[in-house]
Amino acid sequence: MASYIESFRFGEFVGSVLWLVFWILIIISLVGLPLIFIVLFYVPLPPLGDEPLTPYLFLTMVVDPTRTVPIAKYLIHTDLFRVAAFPGFTYAALFAAVTIFVERKFLAKMQLRYGPLYVGKIEGWLQLAADGLKLISKEIIIPAAADKPIFWAAPIAFVSVAAAAAALIPVAPGWVVADIDVGLVAVFAIFGFFPLIALLFSWASNSKYPFIGGLRALHQIIAFEIPFIISALSVVILAGTLNLTGIVESQIASYWFVFFLPISAFVFYLSSLAELERIPFDLPEAESEIVAGWITETSGMIYGLIQLGTYLKLYVLAALFVVLFLGGWSGPIIFPEEIIPGYTGEKIYNHVTLSAIFWFSVKTFGVIMLFLLPRGISPRIRIDILLHTGWYKLIVLSFINMFVALALIYGGILGPEGLLVR
Amino acid sequence: MATLEEKIEETRKLGLQVVKEIEEDRLMTLSVGPQHPGSGHFRFTIKVDGDYIVYCDPDPGYVHRGEEKMCEYRNVIQNIPHLERPVIHDSNNITYSYSLAVEDLMGIQVPRRGQFIRAIASELNRQVYTLYWLAIYGIFLGHSTMFMWPAGDRELFIDLLERLTGARVTHAYNIPGGVRNDMPEGFKQRCLDHIRYFEKRLKEYEDIFYNMPLFRQRTEGVAVLSKEDAVKLGVTGSVLRASGIPYDIRKVEPYDVYNEVDFKVQYMKTGDSFARSYVPFLDMKESCNIMRQLLDKMPESGEVRTKLQPNPKGPPGEAYRRVESGRGALGYHIVSDGTPRPYRVKISVGSFRNLLALPYLLVGNKLADMPAVYWSLNYWPVEADR
Amino acid sequence: MSTASGFIKAIESGSKHLVMRRFTLRYPEQKLRFVGDGYQFDPKKGVGIAGYRGRHILIHDKCTGCQLCAIACEGIAEAIGMVKVDENWKHNKKAIMPQIDYGKCVFCGLCVDACPFYALFMTNDYELSSFTKEHLIYTPQQLEVKPKYDGNVEIIITDRGATHG
Repeated sequence: MASYIESFRFGEFVGSVLWLVFWILIIISLVGLPLIFIVLFYVPLPPLGDEPLTPYLFLTMVVDPTRTVPIAKYLIHTDLFRVAAFPGFTYAALFAAVTIFVERKFLAKMQLRYGPLYVGKIEGWLQLAADGLKLISKEIIIPAAADKPIFWAAPIAFVSVAAAAAALIPVAPGWVVADIDVGLVAVFAIFGFFPLIALLFSWASNSKYPFIGGLRALHQIIAFEIPFIISALSVVILAGTLNLTGIVESQIASYWFVFFLPISAFVFYLSSLAELERIPFDLPEAESEIVAGWITETSGMIYGLIQLGTYLKLYVLAALFVVLFLGGWSGPIIFPEEIIPGYTGEKIYNHVTLSAIFWFSVKTFGVIMLFLLPRGISPRIRIDILLHTGWYKLIVLSFINMFVALALIYGGILGPEGLLVR
Repeated sequence: MATLEEKIEETRKLGLQVVKEIEEDRLMTLSVGPQHPGSGHFRFTIKVDGDYIVYCDPDPGYVHRGEEKMCEYRNVIQNIPHLERPVIHDSNNITYSYSLAVEDLMGIQVPRRGQFIRAIASELNRQVYTLYWLAIYGIFLGHSTMFMWPAGDRELFIDLLERLTGARVTHAYNIPGGVRNDMPEGFKQRCLDHIRYFEKRLKEYEDIFYNMPLFRQRTEGVAVLSKEDAVKLGVTGSVLRASGIPYDIRKVEPYDVYNEVDFKVQYMKTGDSFARSYVPFLDMKESCNIMRQLLDKMPESGEVRTKLQPNPKGPPGEAYRRVESGRGALGYHIVSDGTPRPYRVKISVGSFRNLLALPYLLVGNKLADMPAVYWSLNYWPVEADR
Repeated sequence: MSTASGFIKAIESGSKHLVMRRFTLRYPEQKLRFVGDGYQFDPKKGVGIAGYRGRHILIHDKCTGCQLCAIACEGIAEAIGMVKVDENWKHNKKAIMPQIDYGKCVFCGLCVDACPFYALFMTNDYELSSFTKEHLIYTPQQLEVKPKYDGNVEIIITDRGATHG
């Protein structure tokens, strides 16, 4: 009764809708279509029968189904698709986005409340898009005495390094962006960059609380790298190869390694929590002690990039856990060989690959839920207890399991010609 | 040249003297000010040597409103709404003490049912305040679940208080002469239901917070306040009880109907941060017993308020009464000169006394212990500043 | 071993909460139900009647323009001012009635305690926001209207936790 609402005028409503339609048409025709053609001129297209495929003919694939499938299959096997879409950046970013949303809802359920609820009709699933738009539209404030080149470069480096680590994870047989022979060591080498970036950024912020946060990040991540590497080393002993695809195949040949190396899996899990700076190990960003740690001076999209990088790292470490201990993509094949029996045209999908992707995603999602659980049940740890755990207890535990792995190999139970190899 | 440990020991013994022999450029000054998420509306400056705190200087006064001066311009009943604001979530205790002092001054007798309702409202408010304190303690240590659960369970008691007084937080319920209105229908049964449900929730708090090994490692043995030091510094409330001295004003000088209620004073002997965080929890459990007894013994009907003239005034004199609030002893000393407006009101709060222990306890501990120790002293900045 | 059992108990306690009902009150789809009609005061007995302290309601048939509510509020929030009204009442020769500024009112209800003629009570209405400060000053005619408020939930305790339902 006390407020006044501006009256609704139909003319103004129609005017605003027309204005929106006008701008959409302008942008599509003047910007969108030329961009598509420019890109298509540079993407190598397959020959179609005996005629070269021009961009104009490419667009006819929308109307002619016999041309759609071969072009799509060709495009899926190009390098650009692998790096950008699957299993590269888009797949990892999709996992990161789903993780952020699931984390908020899962924690909310444990804390007897709803998480995001109103953005998007069902349980607020569009909350992440709203947060992203909000972060893009915020002003980026840089302290006057900060070191500007590093201040801008460090978050971008953070995301790039996390995405580079995601490029090494095999999702399905033959589907990995970079198939290196020393894949596992490459992952560890890439992870060695993160304390540097944290320290550089905190130093470039030129402020006291980021300084303390950066030092804590350095101490914490370095303390946990050694148990991290040693626990992964026991897997290499059992598998006999450093190539990640090879490790998965040796698990398919015998059983999942988590049954033989439970202690290593546990140590790897704890070290991953510390590498990711998640609760209970989130000292570098301890909110009540050092404001926000080494990301205090971030605002707007810089903060968004760092959050994206953090959740990409979460995906990488969860996927690494699955590859090393849970058998990668192994699992019964659940997709039928062809949907329509008796169809003899081009095969639309490869059922082995699809089922591999399905099992890999399910297992990674399960491990991510396991990573999210401590956030609901435990407080933050203190730096001296953390360093004591990392340097003393975890190294001892990981060595124990390494000896068990060596015993299994020498006893002839695993490894080539072993008893348990199928 | 004494080592760092000996210098810190010396500092602790001598109180607040800054140790000047340490090279000044090794120390970093951090301002844990009002903009810090770990401090509330209060600022203290700490000097840090590496990870160890060597000097702490609290700086209260950020929220000073002049409560005591404002009391002199309003009559005795008009003072209630602004006097309850310093600790707005414990408002029934801070107005309780004021009403008791004014009743002493003017010779007013509160009817028996009114006294019981006052005590019930005070106990309900104690639960509300302690749950809020526990929630903030959880978030200071990084435990977001321990923030949400007490904040949610606090709604049970706020709902009860809203049915009783008419407002969720700003009750304005105790006035000199009794309480403003009687209980509504069905209040007693609902109160018993909520208390029974709440006692089940207290078990969950123990599981996820107090018995959590990480929490124990962070708070056991940290910032020990010995019995003699506690008496010397003059701390009060749960901090005093955590250092081994079973002192509770409801037992020592019982006011209103507390001498008819049978309860045990909860205390612990160790005096470290864990004891200071556990004693309010035990207090909450005991409070549920007290509420049950009060609801049982309350007379079925009766007056709740003595009728006063519109501008009540009494003979000149002075009165001092104190009450056990969530933070400690809360006392009012009122001097009147025969007019309806008090001549001088002095509020003595528990938070300000506990603040004296803060610099003494923080020195020598790590920076990471700062929120745990600071909040375990049960310090509410607005009340200390009045 | 007590560390391990401590962790396991904490995980157990946390997982138990995944099947409990959520506690939030989803305002504005759910609104709290209040018992009674709002806070009232009986000047003969000198004691109030329990109720929610929301917006005031002024009963024009009883208000005599004695200004006791304004005097009571002067020391608290200075939210009540007397204004001339355009009505002819036998009991209100001066034709003044209170107008309440909800930008200043603290909803303490001491004005209701001060009224000796059963003319000023409080109601259940708390949804008073507006776009301008001037719209928050309620004239006596606006205060006469009885608000319509229907709440539909309250806290209920089930065996799977407490919830608003």
